[in-house]
Amino acid sequence: MPQEQHSQSMAHDEQHENDAVIGAGTTHEAAADAAIDDLDAILDDIGAVLETNAEEYVSGFVQKGGQ
Amino acid sequence: MPQLHDSGNRGHAGASASAHAGDFARIFGIETEYGLSVTGASRPCDAGQVAMMMFQPIMQRVRSTNTYLANGSRLYLDVGAHPEYATAEARTPGDATLADAAGERIMRDLALDAQRRLRATHGPDATVHLFKNNADSAGHSFGCHENYLVRRGVPLGRIETQLLPFLITRQILTGAGRFDGARWHVTQRAAFVDETVSSATTRSRPMINTRDEPHADPESFRRLHVIIGDSNRSQWATTMKLAMTHLVLCLMEWGARHDQRTGLESIALADPVEANLAVDAEGPRAALRLADGTTASPLALQRRVLGAVLDFVRARRDEVAASFDGDPLTTLDDVLGDWELGLESLAYDDEGTGIADRADWACKRRFAARLAGRGAVDPMRLAQLDLDYHDIANGALFASLERHGMMRVLCDEAQVDRAVTTPPAGTRAVLRGAFVTRAESAPVTWSCDWTQLRLTEPVKDEVMLLDPFDAVGDARYARLLALVDGARGVGADMTV
Repeated sequence: MPQEQHSQSMAHDEQHENDAVIGAGTTHEAAADAAIDDLDAILDDIGAVLETNAEEYVSGFVQKGGQ
Repeated sequence: MPQLHDSGNRGHAGASASAHAGDFARIFGIETEYGLSVTGASRPCDAGQVAMMMFQPIMQRVRSTNTYLANGSRLYLDVGAHPEYATAEARTPGDATLADAAGERIMRDLALDAQRRLRATHGPDATVHLFKNNADSAGHSFGCHENYLVRRGVPLGRIETQLLPFLITRQILTGAGRFDGARWHVTQRAAFVDETVSSATTRSRPMINTRDEPHADPESFRRLHVIIGDSNRSQWATTMKLAMTHLVLCLMEWGARHDQRTGLESIALADPVEANLAVDAEGPRAALRLADGTTASPLALQRRVLGAVLDFVRARRDEVAASFDGDPLTTLDDVLGDWELGLESLAYDDEGTGIADRADWACKRRFAARLAGRGAVDPMRLAQLDLDYHDIANGALFASLERHGMMRVLCDEAQVDRAVTTPPAGTRAVLRGAFVTRAESAPVTWSCDWTQLRLTEPVKDEVMLLDPFDAVGDARYARLLALVDGARGVGADMTV
Protein backbone atom coordinates (compact mmCIF):
# COMPACT_ATOMS: atom_id res chain seq x y z
CA MET A 1 0.00 0.00 0.00
CA PRO A 2 1.37 3.41 -0.93
CA GLN A 3 -0.25 4.74 2.21
CA GLU A 4 2.10 2.85 4.57
CA GLN A 5 5.10 3.99 2.65
CA HIS A 6 3.82 7.50 2.93
CA SER A 7 3.18 7.49 6.67
CA GLN A 8 6.80 6.49 7.10
CA SER A 9 8.02 9.43 5.08
CA MET A 10 5.62 11.74 6.91
CA ALA A 11 6.95 10.54 10.27
CA HIS A 12 10.40 11.39 9.00
CA ASP A 13 9.20 14.80 7.89
CA GLU A 14 7.63 15.50 11.22
CA GLN A 15 10.90 14.78 12.94
CA HIS A 16 12.63 17.00 10.44
CA GLU A 17 10.11 19.74 11.10
CA ASN A 18 10.59 19.51 14.87
CA ASP A 19 14.28 19.90 14.27
CA ALA A 20 13.63 22.91 12.10
CA VAL A 21 11.51 24.57 14.76
CA ILE A 22 14.16 23.98 17.41
CA GLY A 23 16.85 24.94 14.93
CA ALA A 24 15.29 28.31 14.36
CA GLY A 25 16.37 29.29 17.86
CA THR A 26 19.65 27.40 18.32
CA THR A 27 21.59 26.70 15.15
CA HIS A 28 20.56 29.71 13.15
CA GLU A 29 24.01 30.40 11.71
CA ALA A 30 24.56 26.86 10.44
CA ALA A 31 21.16 26.97 8.77
CA ALA A 32 22.00 30.30 7.16
CA ASP A 33 25.27 28.91 5.74
CA ALA A 34 23.44 26.01 4.12
CA ALA A 35 20.89 28.46 2.73
CA ILE A 36 23.60 30.51 1.02
CA ASP A 37 24.78 27.43 -0.88
CA ASP A 38 21.19 26.75 -1.92
CA LEU A 39 20.80 30.30 -3.13
CA ASP A 40 23.87 30.07 -5.41
CA ALA A 41 22.51 26.88 -6.95
CA ILE A 42 19.11 28.46 -7.49
CA LEU A 43 20.61 31.62 -8.99
CA ASP A 44 22.46 29.39 -11.47
CA ASP A 45 19.20 27.66 -12.37
CA ILE A 46 17.29 30.89 -12.97
CA GLY A 47 20.14 32.71 -14.73
CA ALA A 48 18.24 32.90 -18.02
CA VAL A 49 15.24 34.51 -16.30
CA LEU A 50 17.48 37.10 -14.65
CA GLU A 51 18.92 38.07 -18.04
CA THR A 52 15.56 38.99 -19.56
CA ASN A 53 13.91 42.39 -19.28
CA ALA A 54 11.80 42.15 -16.12
CA GLU A 55 9.56 45.09 -16.96
CA GLU A 56 8.67 43.70 -20.40
CA TYR A 57 8.04 40.30 -18.91
CA VAL A 58 5.72 41.64 -16.20
CA SER A 59 3.84 44.23 -18.25
CA GLY A 60 3.45 41.75 -21.10
CA PHE A 61 1.19 39.60 -18.98
CA VAL A 62 -2.26 41.13 -19.33
CA GLN A 63 -5.20 38.78 -19.36
CA LYS A 64 -8.67 39.75 -20.49
CA GLY A 65 -11.94 38.25 -19.35
CA GLY A 66 -11.95 35.17 -17.18
CA GLN A 67 -14.12 33.64 -14.43
CA MET B 1 -13.07 0.87 -1.29
CA PRO B 2 -16.12 3.07 -1.39
CA GLN B 3 -19.53 1.60 -0.82
CA LEU B 4 -21.48 1.50 -4.02
CA HIS B 5 -25.10 1.69 -4.83
CA ASP B 6 -27.03 -1.43 -5.63
CA SER B 7 -27.00 -1.04 -9.38
CA GLY B 8 -30.30 -2.90 -9.79
CA ASN B 9 -32.73 -0.15 -8.80
CA ARG B 10 -31.22 2.96 -10.25
CA GLY B 11 -33.29 3.79 -13.29
CA HIS B 12 -33.49 7.32 -11.88
CA ALA B 13 -30.60 7.56 -9.48
CA GLY B 14 -31.74 10.99 -8.37
CA ALA B 15 -34.87 9.51 -6.85
CA SER B 16 -33.04 7.38 -4.27
CA ALA B 17 -31.10 8.93 -1.41
CA SER B 18 -27.35 8.42 -1.59
CA ALA B 19 -25.76 5.59 0.41
CA HIS B 20 -23.30 8.23 1.59
CA ALA B 21 -25.89 10.67 2.92
CA GLY B 22 -25.00 9.67 6.50
CA ASP B 23 -21.23 9.18 6.45
CA PHE B 24 -18.16 11.40 5.85
CA ALA B 25 -17.40 10.41 2.26
CA ARG B 26 -16.73 13.41 0.05
CA ILE B 27 -16.28 14.33 -3.60
CA PHE B 28 -13.52 16.86 -4.33
CA GLY B 29 -12.74 18.79 -7.49
CA ILE B 30 -10.43 21.64 -8.50
CA GLU B 31 -10.98 24.01 -11.44
CA THR B 32 -7.91 25.96 -12.48
CA GLU B 33 -7.81 28.87 -14.91
CA TYR B 34 -4.37 29.54 -16.36
CA GLY B 35 -2.98 32.88 -17.49
CA LEU B 36 -1.02 33.18 -20.73
CA SER B 37 1.63 35.48 -22.16
CA VAL B 38 4.38 35.45 -24.79
CA THR B 39 7.84 37.00 -24.62
CA GLY B 40 10.69 37.12 -27.14
CA ALA B 41 8.50 37.01 -30.25
CA SER B 42 10.00 38.64 -33.34
CA ARG B 43 6.67 40.20 -34.24
CA PRO B 44 3.49 41.00 -32.30
CA CYS B 45 1.60 38.04 -30.97
CA ASP B 46 -1.27 38.15 -28.53
CA ALA B 47 -2.27 35.66 -25.88
CA GLY B 48 -5.56 34.84 -27.59
CA GLN B 49 -3.69 33.67 -30.68
CA VAL B 50 -1.41 31.44 -28.59
CA ALA B 51 -4.36 30.04 -26.66
CA MET B 52 -5.94 28.98 -29.96
CA MET B 53 -2.64 27.41 -31.00
CA MET B 54 -2.56 25.47 -27.74
CA PHE B 55 -6.01 24.09 -28.43
CA GLN B 56 -5.41 23.31 -32.14
CA PRO B 57 -4.60 19.64 -31.45
CA ILE B 58 -7.80 19.40 -29.37
CA MET B 59 -9.80 21.08 -32.15
CA GLN B 60 -8.44 18.57 -34.65
CA ARG B 61 -9.38 15.66 -32.41
CA VAL B 62 -12.86 16.66 -31.20
CA ARG B 63 -13.75 19.77 -33.26
CA SER B 64 -14.21 21.81 -30.12
CA THR B 65 -12.17 23.75 -27.56
CA ASN B 66 -14.22 22.14 -24.81
CA THR B 67 -13.76 18.46 -24.11
CA TYR B 68 -13.47 15.72 -21.53
CA LEU B 69 -10.36 13.56 -21.33
CA ALA B 70 -9.62 9.91 -20.69
CA ASN B 71 -8.83 10.72 -17.04
CA GLY B 72 -12.36 12.07 -16.62
CA SER B 73 -11.32 15.74 -16.44
CA ARG B 74 -12.62 18.67 -18.47
CA LEU B 75 -10.24 20.72 -20.62
CA TYR B 76 -11.45 23.92 -22.23
CA LEU B 77 -10.67 27.36 -23.47
CA ASP B 78 -12.52 29.91 -21.40
CA VAL B 79 -13.50 33.45 -22.38
CA GLY B 80 -10.50 35.78 -22.54
CA ALA B 81 -7.97 33.19 -23.67
CA HIS B 82 -7.91 31.32 -20.37
CA PRO B 83 -7.00 27.68 -20.77
CA GLU B 84 -8.93 25.92 -18.01
CA TYR B 85 -8.70 22.47 -16.49
CA ALA B 86 -11.29 20.97 -14.14
CA THR B 87 -10.23 17.79 -12.41
CA ALA B 88 -12.54 14.82 -12.42
CA GLU B 89 -14.39 13.91 -9.22
CA ALA B 90 -11.96 12.64 -6.59
CA ARG B 91 -12.71 10.75 -3.37
CA THR B 92 -9.71 11.99 -1.40
CA PRO B 93 -7.61 15.16 -1.17
CA GLY B 94 -4.54 13.33 -2.50
CA ASP B 95 -6.45 12.00 -5.51
CA ALA B 96 -7.57 15.55 -6.29
CA THR B 97 -4.00 16.87 -5.96
CA LEU B 98 -2.75 14.20 -8.36
CA ALA B 99 -5.55 15.04 -10.80
CA ASP B 100 -4.56 18.72 -10.56
CA ALA B 101 -0.89 17.85 -11.12
CA ALA B 102 -1.98 15.87 -14.20
CA GLY B 103 -3.75 19.02 -15.38
CA GLU B 104 -0.51 20.99 -15.03
CA ARG B 105 1.30 18.35 -17.07
CA ILE B 106 -1.34 18.35 -19.82
CA MET B 107 -1.36 22.16 -19.98
CA ARG B 108 2.45 22.33 -20.04
CA ASP B 109 2.61 19.87 -22.94
CA LEU B 110 -0.01 21.86 -24.89
CA ALA B 111 1.90 25.11 -24.23
CA LEU B 112 5.28 23.72 -25.27
CA ASP B 113 3.78 22.16 -28.39
CA ALA B 114 2.23 25.53 -29.29
CA GLN B 115 5.61 27.19 -28.64
CA ARG B 116 7.33 24.88 -31.12
CA ARG B 117 4.86 25.90 -33.83
CA LEU B 118 4.98 29.56 -32.80
CA ARG B 119 8.75 29.65 -33.23
CA ALA B 120 8.37 28.80 -36.92
CA THR B 121 6.60 32.11 -37.51
CA HIS B 122 7.67 34.30 -34.57
CA GLY B 123 11.35 33.54 -34.23
CA PRO B 124 13.42 31.08 -32.18
CA ASP B 125 13.15 33.09 -28.95
CA ALA B 126 9.35 33.18 -28.79
CA THR B 127 8.51 31.83 -25.33
CA VAL B 128 5.09 30.85 -24.03
CA HIS B 129 4.41 31.48 -20.35
CA LEU B 130 1.49 29.63 -18.81
CA PHE B 131 0.77 30.93 -15.33
CA LYS B 132 -0.88 28.85 -12.65
CA ASN B 133 -1.60 31.94 -10.59
CA ASN B 134 -4.56 34.27 -10.11
CA ALA B 135 -3.58 37.78 -11.16
CA ASP B 136 -1.96 39.51 -14.12
CA SER B 137 0.03 42.76 -14.12
CA ALA B 138 -3.01 44.92 -14.91
CA GLY B 139 -5.14 43.79 -11.98
CA HIS B 140 -7.28 41.20 -13.74
CA SER B 141 -7.93 38.16 -11.62
CA PHE B 142 -8.86 34.60 -12.50
CA GLY B 143 -9.66 31.72 -10.30
CA CYS B 144 -8.83 28.39 -8.76
CA HIS B 145 -12.16 27.03 -7.60
CA GLU B 146 -12.58 24.15 -5.19
CA ASN B 147 -15.72 22.02 -5.30
CA TYR B 148 -16.95 19.98 -2.36
CA LEU B 149 -20.02 17.77 -2.26
CA VAL B 150 -21.70 18.77 1.02
CA ARG B 151 -24.63 17.24 2.87
CA ARG B 152 -27.65 19.42 2.48
CA GLY B 153 -28.45 19.48 6.22
CA VAL B 154 -25.77 22.14 6.79
CA PRO B 155 -27.66 25.47 6.94
CA LEU B 156 -26.42 28.13 4.53
CA GLY B 157 -26.13 30.65 7.35
CA ARG B 158 -23.40 28.53 8.96
CA ILE B 159 -21.46 28.48 5.70
CA GLU B 160 -21.02 32.21 6.23
CA THR B 161 -20.50 32.27 10.00
CA GLN B 162 -18.44 29.08 10.48
CA LEU B 163 -16.92 27.96 7.18
CA LEU B 164 -16.02 31.35 5.71
CA PRO B 165 -13.89 32.51 8.69
CA PHE B 166 -12.01 29.23 8.41
CA LEU B 167 -11.47 29.72 4.65
CA ILE B 168 -10.26 33.29 5.13
CA THR B 169 -7.77 32.34 7.84
CA ARG B 170 -6.53 29.05 6.33
CA GLN B 171 -4.58 31.25 3.91
CA ILE B 172 -1.82 31.60 6.51
CA LEU B 173 -0.97 28.00 5.57
CA THR B 174 -2.27 27.67 2.02
CA GLY B 175 -1.98 31.17 0.51
CA ALA B 176 0.09 31.26 -2.68
CA GLY B 177 1.58 34.70 -1.93
CA ARG B 178 2.12 37.52 -4.39
CA PHE B 179 4.52 40.39 -4.88
CA ASP B 180 2.67 43.05 -6.85
CA GLY B 181 5.68 45.24 -7.57
CA ALA B 182 5.24 47.28 -4.39
CA ARG B 183 4.29 44.96 -1.54
CA TRP B 184 3.84 41.35 -0.50
CA HIS B 185 0.49 39.65 -0.19
CA VAL B 186 -0.17 36.37 1.61
CA THR B 187 -2.72 35.46 -1.07
CA GLN B 188 -3.25 35.82 -4.81
CA ARG B 189 -6.98 36.35 -4.59
CA ALA B 190 -7.97 38.38 -1.54
CA ALA B 191 -7.78 41.72 -3.30
CA PHE B 192 -10.21 40.49 -5.96
CA VAL B 193 -13.18 39.15 -4.00
CA ASP B 194 -15.61 41.63 -2.59
CA GLU B 195 -18.65 39.66 -1.47
CA THR B 196 -19.06 36.80 0.95
CA VAL B 197 -21.62 34.21 -0.15
CA SER B 198 -23.56 34.52 -3.37
CA SER B 199 -25.28 32.44 -5.98
CA ALA B 200 -23.95 34.52 -8.88
CA THR B 201 -20.42 34.52 -10.34
CA THR B 202 -20.38 36.72 -13.40
CA ARG B 203 -21.18 40.13 -11.94
CA SER B 204 -20.28 39.80 -8.30
CA ARG B 205 -17.07 38.30 -6.98
CA PRO B 206 -18.07 36.20 -3.98
CA MET B 207 -15.80 34.10 -1.76
CA ILE B 208 -18.20 31.18 -1.84
CA ASN B 209 -20.73 30.42 -4.54
CA THR B 210 -23.82 28.46 -3.65
CA ARG B 211 -25.42 28.08 -7.08
CA ASP B 212 -27.30 24.88 -6.67
CA GLU B 213 -25.84 22.39 -9.14
CA PRO B 214 -25.03 19.40 -6.97
CA HIS B 215 -24.27 17.06 -9.92
CA ALA B 216 -25.57 14.42 -7.52
CA ASP B 217 -28.68 13.38 -5.61
CA PRO B 218 -30.17 16.83 -4.84
CA GLU B 219 -32.13 15.51 -1.84
CA SER B 220 -28.90 14.69 -0.02
CA PHE B 221 -26.26 17.02 -1.38
CA ARG B 222 -25.35 20.47 -2.51
CA ARG B 223 -22.14 21.47 -4.25
CA LEU B 224 -20.08 24.02 -2.43
CA HIS B 225 -18.06 26.14 -4.84
CA VAL B 226 -15.17 27.84 -3.04
CA ILE B 227 -13.83 30.81 -4.96
CA ILE B 228 -11.65 32.44 -2.32
CA GLY B 229 -8.71 30.01 -2.68
CA ASP B 230 -5.43 30.49 -4.56
CA SER B 231 -3.84 28.45 -7.33
CA ASN B 232 -1.05 26.67 -5.50
CA ARG B 233 2.19 25.37 -6.93
CA SER B 234 2.91 23.60 -3.65
CA GLN B 235 1.36 20.12 -3.73
CA TRP B 236 1.35 20.18 0.06
CA ALA B 237 -0.75 23.36 0.04
CA THR B 238 -3.18 21.92 -2.51
CA THR B 239 -3.62 18.75 -0.48
CA MET B 240 -3.89 20.59 2.83
CA LYS B 241 -6.45 23.14 1.67
CA LEU B 242 -8.72 20.32 0.49
CA ALA B 243 -8.11 18.11 3.53
CA MET B 244 -8.52 20.86 6.14
CA THR B 245 -11.70 22.09 4.45
CA HIS B 246 -12.99 18.53 4.26
CA LEU B 247 -12.51 18.06 8.02
CA VAL B 248 -14.27 21.34 8.85
CA LEU B 249 -17.16 20.30 6.59
CA CYS B 250 -17.32 16.88 8.33
CA LEU B 251 -17.61 18.68 11.67
CA MET B 252 -20.33 21.00 10.35
CA GLU B 253 -22.26 18.10 8.78
CA TRP B 254 -22.08 16.18 12.03
CA GLY B 255 -23.27 19.23 13.98
CA ALA B 256 -26.22 19.71 11.63
CA ARG B 257 -27.10 16.00 11.64
CA HIS B 258 -27.14 15.74 15.44
CA ASP B 259 -28.19 19.29 16.20
CA GLN B 260 -24.96 19.84 18.16
CA ARG B 261 -22.68 22.83 18.57
CA THR B 262 -19.54 22.54 16.45
CA GLY B 263 -17.22 24.73 18.52
CA LEU B 264 -16.93 27.03 15.51
CA GLU B 265 -19.67 29.40 16.70
CA SER B 266 -17.12 31.84 18.14
CA ILE B 267 -15.15 32.43 14.92
CA ALA B 268 -17.82 34.45 13.07
CA LEU B 269 -16.26 37.62 11.66
CA ALA B 270 -17.66 41.13 11.98
CA ASP B 271 -16.67 41.93 8.39
CA PRO B 272 -15.38 39.04 6.26
CA VAL B 273 -14.25 41.23 3.35
CA GLU B 274 -12.21 43.45 5.68
CA ALA B 275 -10.79 40.38 7.46
CA ASN B 276 -9.82 38.78 4.15
CA LEU B 277 -7.85 41.89 3.17
CA ALA B 278 -6.21 42.03 6.61
CA VAL B 279 -5.01 38.41 6.37
CA ASP B 280 -3.70 39.14 2.90
CA ALA B 281 -1.73 42.22 3.99
CA GLU B 282 -0.69 41.37 7.55
CA GLY B 283 -0.56 37.58 7.72
CA PRO B 284 -0.85 35.35 10.81
CA ARG B 285 -1.00 38.17 13.38
CA ALA B 286 -3.52 40.48 11.71
CA ALA B 287 -6.18 41.82 14.11
CA LEU B 288 -9.56 40.56 12.92
CA ARG B 289 -12.79 41.93 14.37
CA LEU B 290 -15.18 39.15 15.35
CA ALA B 291 -18.97 39.23 15.35
CA ASP B 292 -19.02 38.97 19.15
CA GLY B 293 -17.14 42.27 19.49
CA THR B 294 -13.76 40.76 20.35
CA THR B 295 -10.60 40.69 18.23
CA ALA B 296 -8.52 37.66 17.25
CA SER B 297 -5.65 36.88 14.88
CA PRO B 298 -5.90 34.44 11.95
CA LEU B 299 -3.48 32.24 13.86
CA ALA B 300 -5.76 32.23 16.93
CA LEU B 301 -8.83 31.47 14.81
CA GLN B 302 -7.05 28.60 13.06
CA ARG B 303 -6.09 27.21 16.46
CA ARG B 304 -9.76 27.36 17.50
CA VAL B 305 -10.80 25.56 14.33
CA LEU B 306 -8.12 22.91 14.73
CA GLY B 307 -9.12 22.44 18.38
CA ALA B 308 -12.76 21.90 17.41
CA VAL B 309 -11.73 19.48 14.65
CA LEU B 310 -9.47 17.52 17.02
CA ASP B 311 -12.30 17.23 19.60
CA PHE B 312 -14.64 16.06 16.88
CA VAL B 313 -12.20 13.51 15.43
CA ARG B 314 -11.24 12.12 18.85
CA ALA B 315 -14.74 10.71 19.37
CA ARG B 316 -15.02 9.10 15.90
CA ARG B 317 -11.50 8.64 14.56
CA ASP B 318 -12.21 5.48 12.52
CA GLU B 319 -15.23 6.97 10.79
CA VAL B 320 -13.36 10.13 9.80
CA ALA B 321 -10.16 8.26 8.91
CA ALA B 322 -12.22 6.11 6.52
CA SER B 323 -12.86 9.21 4.40
CA PHE B 324 -9.10 9.20 3.63
CA ASP B 325 -9.05 5.51 2.62
CA GLY B 326 -7.03 5.03 -0.53
CA ASP B 327 -5.55 8.56 -0.44
CA PRO B 328 -2.29 8.23 -2.40
CA LEU B 329 -0.57 11.20 -0.72
CA THR B 330 -1.77 11.66 2.84
CA THR B 331 -3.70 10.32 5.84
CA LEU B 332 -5.93 11.80 8.52
CA ASP B 333 -3.02 11.77 10.99
CA ASP B 334 -0.66 13.44 8.50
CA VAL B 335 -3.16 16.24 7.91
CA LEU B 336 -3.87 16.86 11.60
CA GLY B 337 -0.15 16.70 12.40
CA ASP B 338 0.86 19.07 9.60
CA TRP B 339 -1.94 21.48 10.52
CA GLU B 340 -0.81 21.60 14.13
CA LEU B 341 2.91 21.89 13.32
CA GLY B 342 2.20 24.58 10.75
CA LEU B 343 0.36 26.72 13.28
CA GLU B 344 3.02 26.09 15.95
CA SER B 345 5.77 27.20 13.62
CA LEU B 346 3.82 30.36 12.67
CA ALA B 347 3.38 31.17 16.36
CA TYR B 348 7.15 30.94 16.65
CA ASP B 349 7.94 32.92 13.49
CA ASP B 350 5.13 34.67 11.65
CA GLU B 351 7.33 35.26 8.57
CA GLY B 352 6.68 31.55 7.94
CA THR B 353 10.29 30.31 7.95
CA GLY B 354 9.11 27.06 9.58
CA ILE B 355 6.72 26.31 6.70
CA ALA B 356 8.83 27.83 3.90
CA ASP B 357 9.47 24.40 2.39
CA ARG B 358 5.74 23.77 1.91
CA ALA B 359 3.66 26.96 1.95
CA ASP B 360 3.92 28.93 -1.31
CA TRP B 361 3.73 32.39 0.29
CA ALA B 362 6.41 31.60 2.86
CA CYS B 363 8.65 29.89 0.31
CA LYS B 364 8.57 32.98 -1.91
CA ARG B 365 9.31 35.31 0.98
CA ARG B 366 12.21 33.23 2.23
CA PHE B 367 13.70 33.22 -1.25
CA ALA B 368 13.18 36.99 -1.63
CA ALA B 369 14.75 37.63 1.79
CA ARG B 370 17.83 35.61 0.86
CA LEU B 371 18.08 37.39 -2.44
CA ALA B 372 17.87 40.73 -0.64
CA GLY B 373 20.66 39.52 1.63
CA ARG B 374 22.96 39.69 -1.44
CA GLY B 375 22.08 43.28 -2.21
CA ALA B 376 19.17 45.41 -3.32
CA VAL B 377 16.72 43.68 -5.66
CA ASP B 378 14.81 45.66 -8.29
CA PRO B 379 11.10 45.36 -7.34
CA MET B 380 10.29 44.69 -11.00
CA ARG B 381 12.71 41.73 -10.96
CA LEU B 382 10.98 40.41 -7.87
CA ALA B 383 7.57 40.76 -9.55
CA GLN B 384 8.97 38.85 -12.54
CA LEU B 385 10.32 36.06 -10.33
CA ASP B 386 6.94 35.85 -8.60
CA LEU B 387 5.33 35.24 -12.01
CA ASP B 388 8.09 32.85 -13.07
CA TYR B 389 7.35 30.76 -9.93
CA HIS B 390 3.86 30.17 -11.37
CA ASP B 391 4.89 29.58 -15.02
CA ILE B 392 4.32 25.87 -15.58
CA ALA B 393 5.63 25.95 -19.17
CA ASN B 394 8.97 27.75 -19.00
CA GLY B 395 9.33 28.85 -15.37
CA ALA B 396 12.66 28.07 -13.72
CA LEU B 397 12.29 29.15 -10.09
CA PHE B 398 9.75 26.69 -8.72
CA ALA B 399 11.47 23.62 -10.22
CA SER B 400 14.77 24.85 -8.84
CA LEU B 401 13.31 25.35 -5.35
CA GLU B 402 11.98 21.79 -5.50
CA ARG B 403 15.29 20.40 -6.72
CA HIS B 404 17.21 22.05 -3.90
CA GLY B 405 14.87 20.91 -1.16
CA MET B 406 13.33 24.33 -0.60
CA MET B 407 9.88 23.09 -1.62
CA ARG B 408 8.47 19.68 -0.79
CA VAL B 409 7.32 17.34 -3.55
CA LEU B 410 4.40 15.04 -2.72
CA CYS B 411 3.58 13.42 -6.07
CA ASP B 412 6.19 11.32 -7.84
CA GLU B 413 6.46 11.41 -11.63
CA ALA B 414 4.98 7.93 -12.09
CA GLN B 415 1.88 8.94 -10.09
CA VAL B 416 1.40 12.04 -12.25
CA ASP B 417 1.95 10.03 -15.46
CA ARG B 418 -0.77 7.67 -14.36
CA ALA B 419 -3.16 10.48 -13.42
CA VAL B 420 -2.83 11.96 -16.93
CA THR B 421 -4.57 8.90 -18.38
CA THR B 422 -6.39 7.34 -15.41
CA PRO B 423 -9.44 8.78 -13.59
CA PRO B 424 -9.43 9.10 -9.79
CA ALA B 425 -10.59 5.79 -8.27
CA GLY B 426 -14.02 5.14 -6.83
CA THR B 427 -16.02 7.87 -8.57
CA ARG B 428 -18.14 8.24 -11.69
CA ALA B 429 -15.01 9.69 -13.34
CA VAL B 430 -14.06 6.04 -13.90
CA LEU B 431 -17.23 5.57 -16.00
CA ARG B 432 -16.73 8.83 -17.91
CA GLY B 433 -13.05 8.05 -18.52
CA ALA B 434 -13.79 4.59 -19.92
CA PHE B 435 -16.48 6.04 -22.21
CA VAL B 436 -14.19 8.81 -23.51
CA THR B 437 -11.27 6.42 -24.04
CA ARG B 438 -13.36 3.99 -26.08
CA ALA B 439 -15.38 6.61 -27.96
CA GLU B 440 -12.23 8.47 -29.06
CA SER B 441 -10.90 5.36 -30.79
CA ALA B 442 -14.23 4.43 -32.42
CA PRO B 443 -15.98 5.87 -35.51
CA VAL B 444 -18.72 7.45 -33.39
CA THR B 445 -19.97 10.94 -32.56
CA TRP B 446 -20.20 11.47 -28.85
CA SER B 447 -20.41 14.11 -26.17
CA CYS B 448 -20.56 14.21 -22.41
CA ASP B 449 -20.71 16.44 -19.39
CA TRP B 450 -20.36 15.86 -15.65
CA THR B 451 -23.60 13.85 -15.36
CA GLN B 452 -24.29 12.58 -18.86
CA LEU B 453 -22.70 10.42 -21.57
CA ARG B 454 -24.18 10.70 -25.05
CA LEU B 455 -23.76 8.85 -28.35
CA THR B 456 -25.28 10.52 -31.44
CA GLU B 457 -23.77 8.57 -34.40
CA PRO B 458 -24.11 5.87 -35.69
CA VAL B 459 -26.86 5.28 -33.10
CA LYS B 460 -28.40 7.51 -30.46
CA ASP B 461 -28.14 6.58 -26.81
CA GLU B 462 -27.45 8.35 -23.55
CA VAL B 463 -26.90 7.58 -19.89
CA MET B 464 -27.28 9.81 -16.86
CA LEU B 465 -24.66 9.41 -14.14
CA LEU B 466 -26.26 11.04 -11.12
CA ASP B 467 -24.29 9.31 -8.38
CA PRO B 468 -20.72 10.64 -8.18
CA PHE B 469 -19.77 7.74 -5.88
CA ASP B 470 -20.74 5.12 -8.48
CA ALA B 471 -17.68 3.75 -10.27
CA VAL B 472 -19.39 0.57 -11.50
CA GLY B 473 -22.33 1.74 -13.60
CA ASP B 474 -25.65 0.14 -14.34
CA ALA B 475 -27.05 -1.94 -17.19
CA ARG B 476 -27.73 1.15 -19.31
CA TYR B 477 -24.10 2.20 -18.98
CA ALA B 478 -22.96 -1.27 -20.00
CA ARG B 479 -25.25 -1.08 -23.04
CA LEU B 480 -23.82 2.30 -24.07
CA LEU B 481 -20.25 0.97 -23.90
CA ALA B 482 -21.33 -2.09 -25.91
CA LEU B 483 -22.74 0.24 -28.60
CA VAL B 484 -19.41 2.10 -28.78
CA ASP B 485 -17.47 -1.15 -28.96
CA GLY B 486 -19.91 -2.45 -31.58
CA ALA B 487 -19.29 0.63 -33.71
CA ARG B 488 -15.57 0.09 -33.38
CA GLY B 489 -16.02 -3.49 -34.59
CA VAL B 490 -18.09 -2.30 -37.56
CA GLY B 491 -15.48 0.35 -38.36
CA ALA B 492 -12.74 -2.26 -38.39
CA ASP B 493 -14.77 -4.48 -40.73
CA MET B 494 -15.34 -1.61 -43.12
CA THR B 495 -11.64 -0.85 -43.45
CA VAL B 496 -10.79 -4.49 -44.26
